[in-house]
Amino acid sequence: MGMFKTTEKLEEVLGGFFKLMADTPVIADKLLKSKLVIRFSYTDPDLVVVVDCSGEKIDVRPHDTDSKAIVEMSMSSDIAHRFWFGMVNLTKALTRKEMIAKGPIPKVLKLLPAIKPSYAMYPKYLDENGFEQYNITKAYKPPTA
Amino acid sequence: MLPEFFEFYNPTKVVYEDGVATDLKPELDIIGIKKYFIVSDQIINDLGLIKKVTDGLVEAGYEVTGQYTDVKQDARLNDVQTCTDQIKSSGAEGIISIGGGSVIDTAKASNILFSEGGDLVDDYSGAHTLTRPLKPHVVIPTTAGTGSEVTMVAVIYDEENKEKLAFVDKFLLPNLAVLDPQMTISLPPKMTAATGMDALTHAIEAYVGTQASPVSDSFAVGAIELIMKNLVNATKNGDDVEARGAMQIASTMAGISFSHSMVGCVHGMAHATGGLYRVPHGVANGIFLPYGMEYNFEEIKEKLTRLAPAMGEDASGLSDDEAAKLVIEAVRKLSRKLNELDALPLRLRDVGVPEDGLAAIAEGALNDGTSFYNPREMDEEELLPFIQKAY
Repeated sequence: MGMFKTTEKLEEVLGGFFKLMADTPVIADKLLKSKLVIRFSYTDPDLVVVVDCSGEKIDVRPHDTDSKAIVEMSMSSDIAHRFWFGMVNLTKALTRKEMIAKGPIPKVLKLLPAIKPSYAMYPKYLDENGFEQYNITKAYKPPTA
Repeated sequence: MLPEFFEFYNPTKVVYEDGVATDLKPELDIIGIKKYFIVSDQIINDLGLIKKVTDGLVEAGYEVTGQYTDVKQDARLNDVQTCTDQIKSSGAEGIISIGGGSVIDTAKASNILFSEGGDLVDDYSGAHTLTRPLKPHVVIPTTAGTGSEVTMVAVIYDEENKEKLAFVDKFLLPNLAVLDPQMTISLPPKMTAATGMDALTHAIEAYVGTQASPVSDSFAVGAIELIMKNLVNATKNGDDVEARGAMQIASTMAGISFSHSMVGCVHGMAHATGGLYRVPHGVANGIFLPYGMEYNFEEIKEKLTRLAPAMGEDASGLSDDEAAKLVIEAVRKLSRKLNELDALPLRLRDVGVPEDGLAAIAEGALNDGTSFYNPREMDEEELLPFIQKAY
């Protein structure tokens, strides 16, 4: 069993964070330049989220399984969660198939410096939005929901 | 200091012998199939190298079901589809690629479609998208630089969208790499020098890269030593079998190294220069290598000092700064020797790069996937002066 017990909770936490990043110019401006459409497919629990950077604003679309994505990233929800803390070595995760990336990998790698500020934002976001139990930079407490 | 994590995986069997490409029966018998399709290019065909190999195959009881010799510079998406169609209709059970990086990468990508079907870009571009081994692939390199015979990467140019697509997968590693110096004897001096500098760049960037490990380091250092001792001879005396052989082995060792620890800003600048001004990859790497090392100097100097013996330099008694500079100077000395043989340009201005195009190279290098693995965080403004020096 992963850290998130339900798809709803995962969507609430990660979906909310994606929307926060979309509204954060220091990150969003660089993502928009990439024009990428990325589909994240999470397992345990399952959730699909499309982050569409092809327009004037970043569009975050949970449950979008139909749009044509340029990049498809598949991983467990726990790996995704740890990634946003900056705790996942991308090369290692790809090598060990903890993440599978379909599409133009160099374009994905290029985004990594752009999303670096998010690693500091994520624990703060969790604490400020009632998701403290998911903040693994603090002493771990079992989630209640 | 040990890395937090590393993986070493190289199932490719490597055989080396002068003339071995014409006598592959013992290796092919182990693979266990009988029908092979040849992937190559027109130059290799004209040189008679394909015939040498296929004569040996037929004599050993193997069937050559056909050959595709239309691979062009930069492996291209359309060629992959055509090549795959021919492999399938020929009734082959496996592939033998004979050539340089473009040929080998075309064969790797064709093998994906040959083995799995589907759409190459939609289904397989990216990292580790394959789920099972492909059909057997034997590689006979005819240059000593690319290292593709032992890497899990294929780079294919999509002409329609004008972009290079990367396929990274353990299942792309060939079954067998055949290193036969006879296959590189006819390589002209300029190609010898450029591909050799490509191999040196692979080894040095792998050695100082962020994903380096003690295992990848050992291959990198071995490659560097062989290149420093043999590249000038291989360029000067194309018939020097020992130098040719050493360069092939070095190229393969460098390939094993960078397949695990990646490459950095030198490749980023070379990719940009190749894309913008069609400068051959090895030439661009050769020009940029010392400047890239200088760009990364503070981050890599301690490790560079340890390369001095492999570079043929005595750094005893020198400070880290002095020893690292000695190593960079050794690269420059090698380049100058190759330049004196009229085999390697030293400056961007000598290969048709316009001065007002240097900023675009810096921008391209930043946007290249290799920037992620460079030991120093890359910054366009900070990189540009080094590109200007290379001009």
